Amino acid sequence: MTARSWRQGFFSPLSLFALTIACTLAFPLFYVGYSAFSAKGAVWQRLWSTRIPELLFNTVTLAIGVGATTLIIGVALAWFVTRYDFWGRRVWEWAIVLPLAIPSYVLAYIYTYLLETGGFIEQGWQWMMGAEARIFSPYSFGGAWLVMTLNTFPYIYLLARAALQNVNLSFEEAAQALGATRWQTLTRVSLPLIRPSLVAGLFLVTLYVVSDFGAVSLLRFQTFTYAIYQQMTSRYDYAAASILSLLLVVFAFLFLIAERWFRQRSRFFQTGGHIRMKSPKPCGMLPTLLLTAFMLMVFGAAFGIPVFLLIHWTWAAWNVGEMGSGFLSYIWNSAMLSGTAASIAIVVGTPLAFLASRYPTRFNLLYLQGAYTGYVLPGPVAALALLTLFTQNLPFLYGTALVLILAYLIHFLPAGLQAMESAIQQVNPNIEEAARSLGRHALSSFWQVTFPLVRGGFIVAWILMFLQAMKELPATLLLRPVGFDTLSVRIWLEASEELYQLAAPPALLIILITLPVVLLLTKKNWQTT
Amino acid sequence: MLILTLAPSSLLAAEPLVVYSGRAERLIKPVLDVFTKETNIPVQLLTGSSTQLVNRLEAEGPHTPADVYLTNDAGTLERAHELRLLKPLQIEGIEQMVPQAFRAADNSWIGLSGRVWIIVYNTSMINPEQITSILDLANPKWKGKLAIPNAGSEYLQAGVSVISAVQGETITEAFLKGIRDNAENSVYGQSSQIVDAVAKGKVGLGLVNHYYIYRYLADHPKAPIAPLLTDQKKGEMGLIMNATGIGVLTHTKRLKEAKSLVQFLISRTGQQMFSERNKEYPIRPTVKADPALPPRKSFRVAQVPLARLAELREPTMLLIERSGLR
Repeated sequence: MTARSWRQGFFSPLSLFALTIACTLAFPLFYVGYSAFSAKGAVWQRLWSTRIPELLFNTVTLAIGVGATTLIIGVALAWFVTRYDFWGRRVWEWAIVLPLAIPSYVLAYIYTYLLETGGFIEQGWQWMMGAEARIFSPYSFGGAWLVMTLNTFPYIYLLARAALQNVNLSFEEAAQALGATRWQTLTRVSLPLIRPSLVAGLFLVTLYVVSDFGAVSLLRFQTFTYAIYQQMTSRYDYAAASILSLLLVVFAFLFLIAERWFRQRSRFFQTGGHIRMKSPKPCGMLPTLLLTAFMLMVFGAAFGIPVFLLIHWTWAAWNVGEMGSGFLSYIWNSAMLSGTAASIAIVVGTPLAFLASRYPTRFNLLYLQGAYTGYVLPGPVAALALLTLFTQNLPFLYGTALVLILAYLIHFLPAGLQAMESAIQQVNPNIEEAARSLGRHALSSFWQVTFPLVRGGFIVAWILMFLQAMKELPATLLLRPVGFDTLSVRIWLEASEELYQLAAPPALLIILITLPVVLLLTKKNWQTT
Repeated sequence: MLILTLAPSSLLAAEPLVVYSGRAERLIKPVLDVFTKETNIPVQLLTGSSTQLVNRLEAEGPHTPADVYLTNDAGTLERAHELRLLKPLQIEGIEQMVPQAFRAADNSWIGLSGRVWIIVYNTSMINPEQITSILDLANPKWKGKLAIPNAGSEYLQAGVSVISAVQGETITEAFLKGIRDNAENSVYGQSSQIVDAVAKGKVGLGLVNHYYIYRYLADHPKAPIAPLLTDQKKGEMGLIMNATGIGVLTHTKRLKEAKSLVQFLISRTGQQMFSERNKEYPIRPTVKADPALPPRKSFRVAQVPLARLAELREPTMLLIERSGLR
């Protein structure tokens, strides 16, 4: 056996490590599969005839709807801030990412408040359109669509912006020299070139939409995750919840395969030459006004108004002296847990991402797919699987924060993997091979050559995982040690009792803590560092 | 610090009594604080949904950190009892203090307070004489005028169980389909939202737990809302009452402390505090309810033993799903 085939083979240490991680991550899926298939046929039949068609339709249409609107908004924003120079551009460039700091369930609540019958927005609408005019109910497809779009478009924006900054300027200049308009340049040259990033962004958004539990629960929109949560909180057995979860995973899997196929077809490496920063086109008065209005609208809806309301409520709670104590420990718990989970995720994710990018054998891709299942497996169900695993087999660890960290790993590693994988893919393997041919060992070539090149992407991965872990709810609710509350748990406990003034302070704190981390995302173009 | 948080919680503090509570922290914590002050027994609280907590207790089995399970639905308590998660308690005089219908046969759980699932109506929109039974809500003339809780609500499930135990499945299913059609989009996750919708005149009628009406009136004394005491005529089923209750877990290592918590909550002071905070009916008939509520003796409740709510849960869920409630 040659050295090379040994490295790629099934029994290499790296592969075995990846296998162990993938199995751990996929464990909840095995558990769910087991309980779904041991359910009685009658349960399957009942779900099939009463629930599944509706849930499938709602989930798929929501994912498509949100995907389409985030794509339009995200690409438009990215195009404007990279290609046009207008007043305030530098501020908008990072301000647009801030909505990532708002948990979906907080945004959902704020919109139920804004859109309620007789609420604020309806009164304004009636003032314009007459007393009989009605706006759409937030408890509907429209509500879920709006909230999810406002919550996820920055993912597309970030990836599109980074990609647009990286597009080799010569292509766009060549197009324009040949007489293409700016629109033609965008649609025929730039967009096709940044397609891999857009696909990666859409992938993130779609997985987020189908796996999010907080927003759809508050908006009572019947998607798979909401139905699963309802089944889990109102029944004494988990057969129905397991079946629905398994179906959700199967659909997500089909989607994953499609995405991977698409990505294989459109893989680009930067060809030689240096990348020049495009100098944006200066704008006149009217375009500046229009662009500013657009930015303001998106920013206000996704961040400005919600944060204003939260500050208002926090102030009200403060004034009546109803601010709870113990915030310091909630902050510490949240930050410590999320930070630890994100750091461990980077360590365990690296071999998976590396193997799948460099040696895409069937096994290595399978490990990666195994890891991805955790992202779509609904949080409450995955948490329950872990609870069972630990109480049955490792009772001495049960009730510790370790279980919770594992739950975060399972749920959020995929979000990081996505970023890590595309970072590794952007590094031309020739560089590694050069290092190897100069006598470097595999590990040291990764550490000394590849890692410095992908560091930016890895930081992005860490941030994404940290952010999502800070906001995580269902697993934290089920697995937190007794007496160990995080900010997200506090928001939920108060918000589910309708005490929104009391839910506002922890919500505001989550946003404040995650803001600097979110800003790191925009600080430089990490993908190219 | 990391090591501290990673260590099992049992090593952390001086062995507090761990309470799993299906009841909101805001309502139960002040009462537990008084208990701690009086007995010097520290308490640690973990709140969640009743059903999820009982499922969690089942999964945790002997490894549960919990000593006491306290919840707002007698059905889940009975479920815990069936799973042999609860210890039968010997408390002197309990038979005299708590009526039979509000505790388990072997006293492994004990009711603490009563809550009535009731119609709230807008006094300037609805003539209360048009409704004498809860079943009248299914009448098509209330189309667009009714607000109901969503299918995940434990109150709704318990209420439907009682109706179907008394009236049978056919009548119950027709009732559910009727209120589904009448409610249209006014399906809410919280009773407080329903009361708010009725008070603001978005709808005229709503189905809620009684104390939400009084909680709302305490904040908005002039709100045009009132409870409708239905099904009181001879031969009618009476109002639907559920109970909050408490049980001590089989695997507790702190039986003495757990028992003293039960005794505290069932004592006169405990009862008063516990029910007053939420405007519920004290389970002990000799303890007076809040004067704002209709006196407990002024209405009749359905005679369905609360312990039956556990066995009725699954058929009720099927019924709810079949009727298309969401």
